[in-house]
Amino acid sequence: MANKLLTATLEDGSTIQYDPEVIGEGGMKRVHFTPDRKSVVCFFKDASVGADPQRRARLQSIVGLFNPTTDSEVGAYWRELFCWPTGIVTKPELGVVAPTYAANFFFAQEPFKGKEKQASWFTSPKLRRFLPPQELGDWRRYIHISTRLARAVRRMHLAGLAHSDLSNRNVLIDPQTGTAVIIDIDSLVVPRIYPPDVLGTPGYIAPEVLTTQDLELTDPNRNLPSMLTDRHALAVLIYEYLLGRHPLRGPKVNSTQSAEEDERLSMGERALWIENPNDTSNRPKDPNYMHAPYTVTGPYLAPLFVRAFVEGLHNPDARPDAGEWERALVKTTDLLYPCPNPNCLSRWFAFESTHKQCPWCDTVINEQVAVLHFYREGNRGQFKNDNARLVVYHHQRLFAWHIYDNQYAGERADRTPKAYFALQNGHCWLVNQSNEPMVVVAGSHIANKLLPLSEGEVLRNGSQIRLARAAHGRLAVVQMV
Amino acid sequence: MSESNYAFGAPTIPIGGPSFDAGMRRLPVYLVLDCSGSMTGAPIEAVRQGMKTLLGELKSDPQALETVFLSVITFDTTARQVVPLTELMLVKEPPFEATGTTALGAALKLLSECIDREVRPTTPTQKGDWKPLIFLMTDGAPTDKWMDAADAIKSKKPGNLIACAAGAQADEEMLKRITNIVVKLHDLQPEALKQFFQWVSASVATTSTGVANRGDAPVALPPPPPEIIIVP
Repeated sequence: MANKLLTATLEDGSTIQYDPEVIGEGGMKRVHFTPDRKSVVCFFKDASVGADPQRRARLQSIVGLFNPTTDSEVGAYWRELFCWPTGIVTKPELGVVAPTYAANFFFAQEPFKGKEKQASWFTSPKLRRFLPPQELGDWRRYIHISTRLARAVRRMHLAGLAHSDLSNRNVLIDPQTGTAVIIDIDSLVVPRIYPPDVLGTPGYIAPEVLTTQDLELTDPNRNLPSMLTDRHALAVLIYEYLLGRHPLRGPKVNSTQSAEEDERLSMGERALWIENPNDTSNRPKDPNYMHAPYTVTGPYLAPLFVRAFVEGLHNPDARPDAGEWERALVKTTDLLYPCPNPNCLSRWFAFESTHKQCPWCDTVINEQVAVLHFYREGNRGQFKNDNARLVVYHHQRLFAWHIYDNQYAGERADRTPKAYFALQNGHCWLVNQSNEPMVVVAGSHIANKLLPLSEGEVLRNGSQIRLARAAHGRLAVVQMV
Repeated sequence: MSESNYAFGAPTIPIGGPSFDAGMRRLPVYLVLDCSGSMTGAPIEAVRQGMKTLLGELKSDPQALETVFLSVITFDTTARQVVPLTELMLVKEPPFEATGTTALGAALKLLSECIDREVRPTTPTQKGDWKPLIFLMTDGAPTDKWMDAADAIKSKKPGNLIACAAGAQADEEMLKRITNIVVKLHDLQPEALKQFFQWVSASVATTSTGVANRGDAPVALPPPPPEIIIVP
C-alpha cells in the first residue's frame, strides 16, 4: 500500500509532495523521494542545523547566486555533472530539493542492484573482482570520467566555491558511459558566508588539514577544507581512476603506537607518494600492483601528478588547479590508442611514439601509426608548434577544437565531427566532413591540393595539411610512427 | 597475443587470494552472541534473521567490503568461534542453536584469545589492522566465573567493545564491568533484535569509512533506533 504523501513548502511559497519513507540517510541528511521519483527532498537530521540562519543563507547562495545549472546556454551541460539543489524547503523544517541521480549511476543488476556507483567499486582492485565485467569500463572511459570531474571542479572553483568533501563517496561514476556526477552539493563552502562542516573523507583529506586538526577552529594555523584542499582530493581521485590505486597508501609504517596514529601520520604530516622518485620507502613491493607507473598516463598528466604529489603534497599552492587537470586530460584524450589485444581489459592507452607498447598488457604495436602534430599560425606564414597532437586510429574523428587554435573541448564545444580517419589497404585516410575545405600543403602530387567536403587524402610521413584556411586554422604535420 | 591479466596494472586475483595491497588495513569485527537456552524460539530465530540481514547489508557496502573481516563467537554452556576472522565476502551465516547456560566468562576469554591470534599488530615493517570493533549481546546473567575475564578485557581494551543487554533478564550494570559502552534492548522480540542487527551493520559501515578520522578518539556510532537505549 502506498504511503500517505507529505507536503513540504519551498522558500518561494510553492509546495512539493514527498513520500514519508526515508530512502537514504547520510551523515547529515534524511532523504525522501517525490512521488514521480525525479527529485528528492532532504532534511537535516540535526535540528540545530535547520534552525541556523547562516545555513539558510548558504543554501540560498548555492541555489541562487552560485548555481551554474540555471545558465541558459550551458546549464544543461552542468546539470549532468552536478546533482545541484533546485530549491530550499522551509516547512516542515529546513531542507533542500535536488534532482535524483541519473539511472546509470545505480547498478542495474545483481549482486549490487540498486546500489550507488561510488568510485571505490571501480578503483579498488579488491572490489573490482566482485563486479560484472561489463560494469568495469575501459581506460578511455576513465579519462572521460576524470575530464568531467576536473571540469566540474574547475567550474565550482571559478564561482569561488569549494566542495570541501570531494571523495570516492561524493562523486558517482559510471565507467560504462564515462560519466561522473558530483553529489552532496549542499555542504559547499561559500566564501565569507559559511565555513566547512566536515574535515572530509579519509584518504581524500589534504595533509595540512590532518596535521592541524587538533588546533582550535579559530587558530590562524588551523587549515580547513578550501579550494586548495579540493585540488588535493581531485588529484587523488584522478590518480585512482587512471591507475586503480591510492597515491599515498603504501607499506611505510610511520607509527607503531596504533593503526589509527599511523594512519593520521601517513595521510598527514608524513604523507609520501608511493611513486615518489626521490624517496621509495613507501613504494608497494608487489610488482603486479605497480605494473603501470604513473608515467603511462602520458606527457601531459604525468608532470601534474609530480606537482600534486611531490611538490604540492605539503605545499598547497604548488598543486595543479582543476583547469590544468582538465586541459591535460583533454590533450591526453587525443593520445588514446586502442590496444589490439582482444583480451586487454583496459583496451585503450596513451600512445607514445618512442615506446609502441600497451602499458597494461604489454602488447607491442606492430602497425604504423599516424600522429598529427598541430601548429598554430603566428606571424603570416610562420607556424609554431602548439604542443598538441592527435594519435590516429581507424574511425578516429577530427573536431573543431583540433582544427582551430582558439577552440577548446570544454562545455561550450561544438561536438560535431569535422573529419574522420580510416585505415584501408594499409593506408591511413583523412576524409573531410565539413564545408570548410582543407589544404594539403605538402605531401601530395598536386601543390596546395584542396580537400573539400567528402574528399580524402592518404596520410604520409611529412605530409602537411592546413585544416582550415580561416583565421586560427591549424596546420597538421603528419608523422608515421 | 598474450592473455591479459592486467587492468589498471592490478592483476585479477581470485576471491580469497593473497593480499596484494600492502597499504590496505583490515577492520576486524567480532560478534559475540549469547545462544543460551533462554534464547529458544523467536529470539534465536531473530538472531538468524538478523545475521542474514547484517551480512546482506555489509556485503553490498563498498567501504565495508573493502576493509571488514568478520568473526562470530557464540556461547551457551561453553564458548566457540563459529566463524574465524574471515574476509566479509566469504562469510557464510553460521548455524545458531539455543541451548544450555550462559558461559560469558568463557566467551570473553575466547574473544581475547582470538583477537591475540587473528588481529595483526602494527610493527615497523607491517601496517597492522584497525582497532577491532566488538559487539557483545547477552540476554541473561552469566552462569560461569566471568568477573576475572571481564576485568581482563576492560583493562586490556582490545578494541571498541559495545555490549548489549537484551531483554528484561539481562543485567546492564554487570556489562559495565566489561565496557563503558552498554546499550539495552527492552525485550527479545524479533523487531527489537532486528533493529539491533541493523544498528550493528550501520555502525560497522560508519566505522569502515571514518575509522581514520580522529586518531584514537572513540568510534562514532550512528544514533541507535528507539528500541536501543544507551545505558549512561
